[in-house]
Amino acid sequence: MLPIPGRLAAAVLVTSMATGAMAEEVTVVLSEELDIVDPCEASRSNVGRVVLQNIAETVTELVPGSGLQPRLAESWEDVGNGTWRFKLRSGVTFSDGSALDAGDVAHSIARMKSEAISCEIGNKFFGGMELTTNVVDDTTLDITADPATPILPLLMSTVTVTRDSEPMDSYVDTPVGTGPYTFDEYARGQYIKLSARDDYWGDAPTVTGATYVFRSDSAVRAAMVAAGEADVAPNIALQDATDDSMDYSYPNSETVYMRLDHDTAPLNDVRVRQALNYAVDREAFVGTILANGTLLATGMTPPSTIGYNHDLEPYPYDVEKAKALLAEAAADGVPVDTEIVLIGRINNFANVQETMEALLAMWQDAGFNMKLQMFEVAEWLEHYSKPYAEGRPPEIVEAQHDNANGDPVFSMFFKYACEGAQAGQCDPKLDAMIADASAATGDERAAKWSDTFAYIHEDLVADVMLFHMVGFSRVNSRLDFTPTIRTNSELQLSQIEFK
Amino acid sequence: MRSFLGKRAIASAISLAGLIVLVFFLSRLTGDPTDLYLPLNATQEARDNFRAIHGLDQPLIVQFLHYLADLARLDFGESIRRAEPAIDAVLRGFEWTLWLALITMSIVTVAAIIVGSLAAFRVGGVFDRIATFCSLIGASAPDFWVAIVAIVLFSVTLGWVPTSGTGTVWHWILPIGVLFIRPFGLIVQVVRGSMISTLSSAYIKTARAKGVRNRPIIFVHGLRNAMLPVITVIGDQAAGLLNGAVIVETIFGFPGVGKLMIDSILQRDFPVILASIFVTAVAIFIMNILIDILYAVLDPRIRY
Repeated sequence: MLPIPGRLAAAVLVTSMATGAMAEEVTVVLSEELDIVDPCEASRSNVGRVVLQNIAETVTELVPGSGLQPRLAESWEDVGNGTWRFKLRSGVTFSDGSALDAGDVAHSIARMKSEAISCEIGNKFFGGMELTTNVVDDTTLDITADPATPILPLLMSTVTVTRDSEPMDSYVDTPVGTGPYTFDEYARGQYIKLSARDDYWGDAPTVTGATYVFRSDSAVRAAMVAAGEADVAPNIALQDATDDSMDYSYPNSETVYMRLDHDTAPLNDVRVRQALNYAVDREAFVGTILANGTLLATGMTPPSTIGYNHDLEPYPYDVEKAKALLAEAAADGVPVDTEIVLIGRINNFANVQETMEALLAMWQDAGFNMKLQMFEVAEWLEHYSKPYAEGRPPEIVEAQHDNANGDPVFSMFFKYACEGAQAGQCDPKLDAMIADASAATGDERAAKWSDTFAYIHEDLVADVMLFHMVGFSRVNSRLDFTPTIRTNSELQLSQIEFK
Repeated sequence: MRSFLGKRAIASAISLAGLIVLVFFLSRLTGDPTDLYLPLNATQEARDNFRAIHGLDQPLIVQFLHYLADLARLDFGESIRRAEPAIDAVLRGFEWTLWLALITMSIVTVAAIIVGSLAAFRVGGVFDRIATFCSLIGASAPDFWVAIVAIVLFSVTLGWVPTSGTGTVWHWILPIGVLFIRPFGLIVQVVRGSMISTLSSAYIKTARAKGVRNRPIIFVHGLRNAMLPVITVIGDQAAGLLNGAVIVETIFGFPGVGKLMIDSILQRDFPVILASIFVTAVAIFIMNILIDILYAVLDPRIRY
């Protein structure tokens, strides 16, 4: 490779030739450089926006508004005893020309669970689950989950398929998949280039190539699209979304809530938890320090999730009722004067500091003795995830939870079950409800999740649910592309058209 | 001179060893990176496995001894965050930072010496007032604000140069322009002050009395003797850039070592932290030795 001055000189010659050409190519500006490009890490948002469904495709696909759809699998059926049979498409090839078969899918499943590389997809979606595979023939694969799960086909929408030759003990730096694009070049710190395949099994995409660049400052990402240097900035800050002709808001599948520590007084008293909920003027945040379009939350997952209880109402702002509940608790000997530590995560979302300070003021107005501490992610995690510190003061931990996968099962166990890594309480009845809903299917499953949401929100008052957030994307006006809830985790180039 | 260089090299090596020990233990004080890398709902088994893969399950002293053994072979280990050797990522970033610092400081040095010298020649004159005013603003302007304003003005509004990135020479104009301002302001002030002192020296008055013209008085007789404090400041500013112009690298998407270092600290990527500090420290030690040599070249009275 040429040294930097040599590369610069060459670039001067190339620039004039390249300018204005390649109208069917797009440039995407991401918020951080990809440290790893392995498809088994595609559940990380910036990796997913490059790799997911562009390079590596999943077995099934969750499509907003349409539910679970075929992708590499044409069909699937429950054959009993925790085993599902997936029938793969025939005639699918990887970008290196090799044919996809059931062995590749089996290898991908084993690889994402490999202890030698700790892939995020395996850890995030299949933790505590044993998966065994049986290759029936080239296009038929049986997958058995232990414990059995009725949503295995949904879980397979997270599994990116790679060749069976990919190593089990190291990441790949040039991913090869069955998707409509090939991974051409990664100049670390500078750009990634993809180009469309001629031999893709599906419809040929309109976008023939894409360049991904990385800018950590939101104002710069927005300026790049405004200046015509980039076509899509999937994630910009609220304050930079100033141009209605280019900026789109979309539900970003993130839910902001306050996790309450039920083990410590006074938060172990349901009246105190109700008071915390009544003391928050949720409406006051929307359109001020949080974006217009932000929804008030009553559950941990986005409203588009199956089983979301749309009948639940957010707690109304009633500071007098909050004070009355506190007084009632105090009269019964609950130490409501105990100082509560309100813990926030720095840079968790736009204006998180302002949000936390506003919440602190509201709770202090209602009579709570509270102080605010903001932490970087590593320190914040020590408060948010188990094991919790012994002898800790009563804590309220701010968190933002992402579930773009359409089913509460991805959230509820970890956030609410006794063994859940981030649960603030342990309630045997709730454990049973979660287990029951997780095992159910179809309409029964939706109904059981709906009941679970209601129990958490109204009976247990487990936490202070706040907002379903919106994200902002800036899209060049030459593109016909509207961001959706999936834009938070992927950016399918094949869905982009030109005006 | 050879003896002096040897002593400086030994002193630098001792400082470097101290720095390495300090950074190793201080970085470990920030905590275990496991939770930063694995999903919140990763199992305990997965967490234990992650720690074992990266040697984080070993006692701290064992980790340190392994680190020293690897360092003896200049092996900083694999980046936890990136699937590549830490030193590869650092050297790649350092190359960008080195060129950015080299080009910026070359332009700054030439411009600041000319402006500072001319300002000192007619103290209180129009040029001096303008130069002093501008240099004070430059020395105090916040990089972040200047960078964003420059992007909005020169890239979005006027469309003269790209907003950010590294693809062409045009991409270097804004980062260098923004980096130029602060050291330029500072060095102009130092050159001006030093030149005022030098130009009032007896030998300059003698030169004037003998009819020597202004240009050689300023740029030959005056400048050489006024340069010693200036070189110190230039070295200090260059060291700052070699450590990485973090704000400029971040805003302009410049893949330098400064941003890499900050990211690795936030991500507790210990191998990259240690490799980047090692590389930049070595570069700064080398630069300091070069400055010492330059002192001797400029002032024959200095002998080591």
